[in-house]
Amino acid sequence: MDKIESTRQFLLELYDTIDDKRQVLRAPELRELLSGIRNVPKDQRAEYGQAVNELRQELERLVSAHEDRQVELDPIDVTAPMDVNSSIPELLPSTQGSKHPITAEIERISAIFNRMGYVTEESREIDDQYHMFETLNFPKGHPARDDYDTFMTEEKDSSGDPLIAPAHTSTMQNRVLKKYRQNLEKGEAIAAIVPDRVFRNEDLDARHEHTFYQVEGVYVAKGVHAGMLIATLQEFLQEYYGKKLEVRVNPFYFPFTEPSFEFALSCPFCEEKNSQCKVCGGEGWIELLGCGMIHPNVLKAADIDPNEYTGFAFGCGIERLIMMKYNIEDIRHFQSAKLDFLEQF
Amino acid sequence: MKVSLNTIKQLIDFELPPVDELVERINAQLGGVEEIISLSEKYKDAKIVKVVECEKHANADKLSVCKIDDGGDELTQVVCGAPNVHAGMWAVWLPPESIVPSTFDDEEPFKLGARELRGEMSHGMLASAKELALGDDHNGIVEITKKDLPAEKELSVGASFAEVFGLDDTIIDIENKMFTHRPDLFGQLGVAREIAGIFGYQFDDPKWYYELDEQPEPSNSFELKSFNDCEEKVSRLMFVGMDNVTIAPSPLWLQAKLVSMGSKSINNVVDVTNYVMLMTSQPTHAYDYDKLRGESIGARMANSGEKITLINGKSYELSSEDIVIADAEGAIGLGGIMGGSDSEVSNETTRIVFECANFDMYTVRKASMRYGLFTDALTRFNKGQSMLMNPYVTQFALNMLSELSGAKLATEIYDDLKTSDDSWRAKPTVIPMPEAKEIERDFINSRLGLDLSVDDMMKLVTNVGFECEGSVDSFSYWAPAWRMDIQDKEDVVEEIGRLYGFDKLPRELPARSTKPAQLNESTSAKQSIREKLKALGANEVLTYSFVHEDVMKKSDQDVNQAFRLSNALSPDLQYYRLSVLPSLLDKVHANIKSSHDEFILYEIGKGHNKKYHTDDDEGLPGEMEFVDMVYTSKKPKSGAAYYHVRNLIQQLCLDLGFTLRYKPVEEELDYPVTAPFDLKRSALLETQDGVFIGMIGELKQSVIKNFKLPSYTAAATLDFEGLKKAIHTERQTYLPLSKYPSVSQDLSLKVSSDVSFDSLFSTVSDVVSEESDNRSIKIDPVAIYQPADDHTVKTITLRITVSDHEKTLTDRDVSEILNHAAGRALSTVGAVLS
Repeated sequence: MDKIESTRQFLLELYDTIDDKRQVLRAPELRELLSGIRNVPKDQRAEYGQAVNELRQELERLVSAHEDRQVELDPIDVTAPMDVNSSIPELLPSTQGSKHPITAEIERISAIFNRMGYVTEESREIDDQYHMFETLNFPKGHPARDDYDTFMTEEKDSSGDPLIAPAHTSTMQNRVLKKYRQNLEKGEAIAAIVPDRVFRNEDLDARHEHTFYQVEGVYVAKGVHAGMLIATLQEFLQEYYGKKLEVRVNPFYFPFTEPSFEFALSCPFCEEKNSQCKVCGGEGWIELLGCGMIHPNVLKAADIDPNEYTGFAFGCGIERLIMMKYNIEDIRHFQSAKLDFLEQF
Repeated sequence: MKVSLNTIKQLIDFELPPVDELVERINAQLGGVEEIISLSEKYKDAKIVKVVECEKHANADKLSVCKIDDGGDELTQVVCGAPNVHAGMWAVWLPPESIVPSTFDDEEPFKLGARELRGEMSHGMLASAKELALGDDHNGIVEITKKDLPAEKELSVGASFAEVFGLDDTIIDIENKMFTHRPDLFGQLGVAREIAGIFGYQFDDPKWYYELDEQPEPSNSFELKSFNDCEEKVSRLMFVGMDNVTIAPSPLWLQAKLVSMGSKSINNVVDVTNYVMLMTSQPTHAYDYDKLRGESIGARMANSGEKITLINGKSYELSSEDIVIADAEGAIGLGGIMGGSDSEVSNETTRIVFECANFDMYTVRKASMRYGLFTDALTRFNKGQSMLMNPYVTQFALNMLSELSGAKLATEIYDDLKTSDDSWRAKPTVIPMPEAKEIERDFINSRLGLDLSVDDMMKLVTNVGFECEGSVDSFSYWAPAWRMDIQDKEDVVEEIGRLYGFDKLPRELPARSTKPAQLNESTSAKQSIREKLKALGANEVLTYSFVHEDVMKKSDQDVNQAFRLSNALSPDLQYYRLSVLPSLLDKVHANIKSSHDEFILYEIGKGHNKKYHTDDDEGLPGEMEFVDMVYTSKKPKSGAAYYHVRNLIQQLCLDLGFTLRYKPVEEELDYPVTAPFDLKRSALLETQDGVFIGMIGELKQSVIKNFKLPSYTAAATLDFEGLKKAIHTERQTYLPLSKYPSVSQDLSLKVSSDVSFDSLFSTVSDVVSEESDNRSIKIDPVAIYQPADDHTVKTITLRITVSDHEKTLTDRDVSEILNHAAGRALSTVGAVLS
């Protein structure tokens, strides 16, 4: 019993001196008391056990009271550059800083397209169905709307439809076409990219995120044909990967382009279909993005005459480019805010 | 869409290249192939045999000992337990060492052997339909008769079962998504036509698909009252009654055919309706006439709350927006999706009603979403089937029904077709158009970058069923009746480009002007903020735009101001976040746990608020952009954490080209953005020009506790619009260099501790600017000292550095300025020299 009391004194003193108060509950002295019950004569065990238990509860109360305390701090002079009796805090070393791999890649992609004459625009995080679907030739109830697992809000827009979290950066197409429409009258092209955040209501796994990034491209002028779309993307990818690449298109279906394509490039990470290649798995081809000639209804929705002007559009996922480049195994790392991940870039 | 290669081969009249080459062409010119399934492997060992002898097993009642002829020199002994086994029958034999086809895809496929069964050797087995993965029937072994054989096939002992029944097949599964606009490609016929087209061959449709034969006179053995009460949703509705039906298993050739098209055999009548759909893409259905109430069948909208049990055995309460097939008393099928169980064809059925209808794609899509019902019929109807092919499909089905089940026409064919445009009747196999559409050669070539002749173009599309008449520069066309997608000229451009081959288009970059593309002010401002923050040791993170309500509550934010998602899969994504900071606070603890002791997380992101910004952005919710950050150190440092963030933000803004004013928060703030901050230890920031930049400060103790943050933590929330404006403001900041050395002196002033640093500093700075003629004067804070035993006073030390442009300064010159400043400070804030 004396031992309990002396340990109690010791632990209370310890408690006062440590920063992490919870450590007192893990102190070896306390554990020793708990396990010491084996050496206590049987007839005293109950009493001993109760006393040790009370001590433990006392410490736990102290710790949780400490954790729950709401110490109101005093006001400080916020106009001062430093606290009293303190120097100006030192900044962290610049070597500790990092840029997120996605924003870094978006800056790189934008720079290439800017050099190719494209302007950069940003997208929205809440939009209406008019821009996400209607102006893109998805009438109300169109089955292709099902392919975009779109988040909706409980709040409604002015036409009474739920607002949406854009499931593709194409939600900006109509606005971009309208904004730069006067280029056409001056004999110049509409050339814009929109790299930004998009959302799909999907379950998460190593390959699927509900929040990810796309870059949209739009090009409209007189005499633009489908071969130009293929050539433009090939040129961009060769610049991006810094090497000659083969590309191919497969027919696809999107309501807002016609014809529509799925675009693939020869694997930039291996030579001649290497079956060991972690990126293409020996296929030799990587299916990268969807694209096509802008549907006349989409041009009309932006008051552009589809008989006079034609154009192309494309949309490419950005995480995929980065994952292939660095061999990143799990897409969920990107938005995890884990410093262990971010510091590698 | 599962495509049976053997079926395609029967529909075309040219040789196909090897499968891998074919798949490459399909990928390039039709649609993405998801999977190639080889049936050959599954059936490679199955043989057609004749049972020559069949004796009862001496030691087992239910077993027979058979001698079979498999084409070898000697007969083989097989013990068989099927009740229908008999001498002289033709059967399917699975020899020893072969895999039972129904277990082929299992983890442990069942391999047969030769073994003794109660004293008699049995080599392999005679197979049932179930063991052959043809259907569910396992009551007896498969008996092959003449009528089971596909056309032009003979029975011979030892022949490969797969070869005779076309199961030496390859199934090519093409992504459904590719055919969203091509309802016709959900049938083998449509795919065969396209394959001919991409190889440059004319496709010849089977005769029943374009010519209607005279149907025999109906027996009128029963009455069928048909109706269509929702013509706007059911644009075509055909019913026909048949009698003399015998329900039986389908002949083996049909069972095998269904398997190679990815389906399964049920009975002869149901199999015909499925087969017709798989071939033509038009779904059809058969009802048991004797289960209809009131000798009546038709289409109508459901009554709200009306109940129905479908053939999946489940019951549904219907909405008034559903199309139903109904008899005189109630719904008997959910239109375009699934038939009802009460009117289902069964083994006892002798009279049927056959249906071939056209349902509105949007209506059936909604109903399917409402009930979570996704069927083969729905997949086809929700693409919008042509309403012009129903009579041909019906003709095909009726002929098969009579052949396979003995069915005879009992009623007239009911055909209700609603169309405002009767012009198609002149050309019943082309889409209704007042007249042929005209398209110019140049329109097509300029969009593809090609130089095709009109003849080249017409050849490409007539191969797949278009009818064309050409001149030199243009041609007129009628699209085939099943092509619902050909609406605009661009649709024809796509068709020609695809059939020609998109990979053969000339690749050239667009010509462009040398005018530079304008930089985007926002993205370039963000780029420089990121660069500066990286240099300041901060880590950029990206976190979700959606948050759990707990994250907002932990930050003391008002959840009611957040836009709420109605269909999120997880509660972690319940709301649009009000500001970025809470998401960052949520990520601190995990990083501390993984041994990061001191760091800055920041994110440039958006917040939304339905109380303040509902529709202020062209009718849409305003999107506020933030540059938010949190600084934390596991080990507390000297002084308040506030000053760390203050120094950080001050440096950031200096690097971005402007300086800040820090204002204490003097009134209560009630915004989600400021909610996490401890306002008495926080400051509002603005530029010297008064542009609002944001807030920095320490966090409420409750917030620190809720997020398990180290106590030495402070945060900033900056308004990106303000930052952008400040970054883009032109400033003249250069001062000419002085030829004379500068002189520094420290000024220490003791003030009451409630005098703010800023009020003293601005007093000194006012004096200094009055003395600034031909001089550059810099004031740097050096220290703020407070004696340990007296918290009522503090001493602020400032270093004043003066350089004159015209002369060398003496210490006295500088002391004068200091004295002047000290005098002013005494009168304004009661400061005394210390």
